[in-house]
Amino acid sequence: MMMQTEVIENIKFGILSPETARSISVVKLSVPDTYNEDGYPIEGGLLDQKMGVIDPGLLCKTCGARAKSCPGHFGRIELVRPAIHSEFSKVIYMILQSTCRNCHRLLLNDEHIAEYRNVLAKLEEDSVDIVESSGEEEAVAMGSAAMLKKLKNMKKCERCGTLKGKLKFSAPTYFYVDDYKLKPDEIRDLLAKISNDDLQVLGIDARASRPEWLIISVLLVPPVNVRPSITLESGERSEDDLTHKLVDIMRINLRLEQNLNAGAPQIIIDDLWELLQYHITTYFNNETASIPPARHRSGRALKTLAQRLKGKEGRFRYNLSGKRVNYSARTVISVDPNVDLDEVGVPFAIASKLTVPFYVTAWNIEKARELLTRSEYPMVTNVISKDGKRKRVIDLNREELIKELAVGDILERQLMDGDITLFNRQPSLHRVSIMSHKAKVLSGKTFRMNYCVTAPYNADFDGDEMNLHVPQNLEAQAEAKYLMSPQYQIFSPRDGDAIITNNEDGITGMYLLTKDDNYLTKEQAVYILSIAGVYELPKANKNGLYSGKEVFSALIPEGMNFSCRSGGAPFVIKNGRLVEGVVTKDTYGRGNNKLLVKLGKDYGYDRLKKFLFVSSKVADAYVTLMGVTVGVKEYTTSKKLEDERVRLLQETFVKINKLIDDYKARKLEPLLGYTLRESLERMIIAELNLVRDRAGETLLKYESSENSAVEMARSGSRGSILNIEQMTMFLGQQATLSGGRIRRGYYTNRVLPHIVPGDIRPGARGFVATCYYSGLAPTDLFMHAVGSRGSEVYKALLTARSGYLYRRLSNALQDYSVDSDFSVRDANNNMAQVVYGGDMVNPIYTQFMDLEEEEEKG
Amino acid sequence: MPSKSDHELVPVHEIMSDKDVKELFKTFNITIDNLPKIFESDVQAKKLEAKPGQVLKIYRREGKREYPYYRAVIDG
Repeated sequence: MMMQTEVIENIKFGILSPETARSISVVKLSVPDTYNEDGYPIEGGLLDQKMGVIDPGLLCKTCGARAKSCPGHFGRIELVRPAIHSEFSKVIYMILQSTCRNCHRLLLNDEHIAEYRNVLAKLEEDSVDIVESSGEEEAVAMGSAAMLKKLKNMKKCERCGTLKGKLKFSAPTYFYVDDYKLKPDEIRDLLAKISNDDLQVLGIDARASRPEWLIISVLLVPPVNVRPSITLESGERSEDDLTHKLVDIMRINLRLEQNLNAGAPQIIIDDLWELLQYHITTYFNNETASIPPARHRSGRALKTLAQRLKGKEGRFRYNLSGKRVNYSARTVISVDPNVDLDEVGVPFAIASKLTVPFYVTAWNIEKARELLTRSEYPMVTNVISKDGKRKRVIDLNREELIKELAVGDILERQLMDGDITLFNRQPSLHRVSIMSHKAKVLSGKTFRMNYCVTAPYNADFDGDEMNLHVPQNLEAQAEAKYLMSPQYQIFSPRDGDAIITNNEDGITGMYLLTKDDNYLTKEQAVYILSIAGVYELPKANKNGLYSGKEVFSALIPEGMNFSCRSGGAPFVIKNGRLVEGVVTKDTYGRGNNKLLVKLGKDYGYDRLKKFLFVSSKVADAYVTLMGVTVGVKEYTTSKKLEDERVRLLQETFVKINKLIDDYKARKLEPLLGYTLRESLERMIIAELNLVRDRAGETLLKYESSENSAVEMARSGSRGSILNIEQMTMFLGQQATLSGGRIRRGYYTNRVLPHIVPGDIRPGARGFVATCYYSGLAPTDLFMHAVGSRGSEVYKALLTARSGYLYRRLSNALQDYSVDSDFSVRDANNNMAQVVYGGDMVNPIYTQFMDLEEEEEKG
Repeated sequence: MPSKSDHELVPVHEIMSDKDVKELFKTFNITIDNLPKIFESDVQAKKLEAKPGQVLKIYRREGKREYPYYRAVIDG
């Protein structure tokens, strides 16, 4: 194949001159209309066939090609009176401000001009050294900005001494000198007289863009295929918005011409001229500030040139940056615990649309024929022959295609169970936002996933949608399978903690199962173990019951030895049996999780994945069996607990009152580095924190394991003791963002009018002694709302800010990779680190290393 | 007066010999442009009187670990 060897070095944008516009246009348009009565494009009209054709079958009158191959040709409208290009009016204003209207030179004399040229040259030179090339233009822009500012404020021409007069610019296209309105042709004449050299000082390359070209006298009309007309079902033709706008321009242009020829009074001419200017302004940008947008007959604003390009739905972001991907699918996600961690349930409708290439070889051609014969799922949808021709398989040509099938062909086969796919949820913030899953074709309309993999995707099932991609060659499939499978992503590259784990109900279930003195009947044990795929019962105790710990032991590898702490107590596995301890979030959930690290390190990722999958099913089944639920019952307090609450608060208030009294009597011993008042405040806060912690302890003491909320908090699956405390005992201190107590409100130094001015006791400064169950007093509710609002606002600001910070960081680092010699380099082979991290340690394995060390120590 | 560069947290800097530099470039298959930079006016470069074009070897420490780092001296 011939290679294109030319390389584009740079692109320069300039302004279109009337001469260029004339020379690149193929037709001068004169009729402000589209079709004649016969429905045929009018010659010299806006759909003149010289500008190309859109109806299939017709030939372009310029190049003779059909609609598909004709690139389209420009036409032009000769304006009888020029109009200002509104998008450039700021530039025009700048030039008018900087030049003399008498001598048509820059307002500066030669000396000053030379001075500025020197400054510019110097800036240009300096910038080359510091930054490579790109900084140059910036520095020049900085230098010229200063000069432009000076020019703007000059009152008088340094050359001929002419006063500049009061120049006023009124958006979008009006210019006044001492209240006289400059007409576009007058502005054009002024601009035309400025020399190229003077323009260079202003930063304008006159060879590419003469300023007078900013005033339009020849309007270039885009080809028909840029603004195609569509035929409605009723047979009616509907024109593109651009065509509508161009019709408007031509109509006014024609009327202006007729009036000029008829010698109409100036006022009428000016009105029409202004109308022409309006149409041209809105033709370029229908969202130009301070003028009403041009509207369609229906009242909808027209979508003109700027609107086509601009914004999220514009050409750049929508069509160019946002291309659509083949072999992909998107739908709502939902859970299915029976789908493995490295699987994804694919709806049948999607599986029958997506295809996987099947490479025909001498060894599988029989299988290929067999596949090709099929007329229902899983079938071949396309055959790509060796020469790259793609043929759709239909009932009519199937026989023929089977006959022609040869080694080297590629069949496109419908997606089947076990095919490698990539599964993705946006925003793709880190590498585990895209992982490879094996397809599992299911009925229904949603993608099904295991809930253990929700954490890396940050997915939930309240309507989240996810994307699925099918890698289209063996290399991609292999890479996806061996690098991107969830089992290889269980440990985070951030710190080596497990990120793919069981959670919530899964932890509750395991906790309940492995609790001390928890026994299952034979039926229950058989049911639970059958779900795990274990068909051997462990030893029963003397009552014929099976301990939950034994059931859990059936899920872990034989002969495993391990110990750590779980829920503040030892957790010991000896010879493959859980002999002591309860499974909690410390051993089973996300975060610093030694059990999973042990499994991954000693038994491999596949065994770990199996453990997660099987145990999550077991935990689910068990929690369903037990029925964990939360209701009002969880939050009713016993008499004893209520008494305890009152006592605790009473004690604290007494202590605090004493502190305050001491303070008033100046007897308080200040803390080191704090004033007396600050010390008091800190002591009060410390007391209030203490009472909160003590309330939590009391709560744990008095609440039984019957209480589901407490059980969930204990296992770490959901909620904390603090949450329950707030519901059954008291809400505690409501803090402000700065961490202090709430104190702002009235100038009399009180938060609410219900409070005595200057009161600094807990209740007056946002300590809420009531709980959700008992109900909040209005003042308490207010304090609570202050705290809630603070944290809500903080959260919103924090996520927005930190999200963007992270994005910038990850984008800046995305090219860095660890080389085969363990050096870190970017895409240009620039060295960042000689040895990765200084020690070649991959953070994923840090937990492995720690565990290893621990085990060696014994 | 003790100098900033005597502080225990400042790693040892030294100018590499031309031979060592050549070897460094060869082992890592790089040129001097691919190395991280250090200004001639940097405290450490000044102290060693390093000139642009030379390469500094820095003995970095992180806890118990020690590893070398290289910086090309540049103008400025």
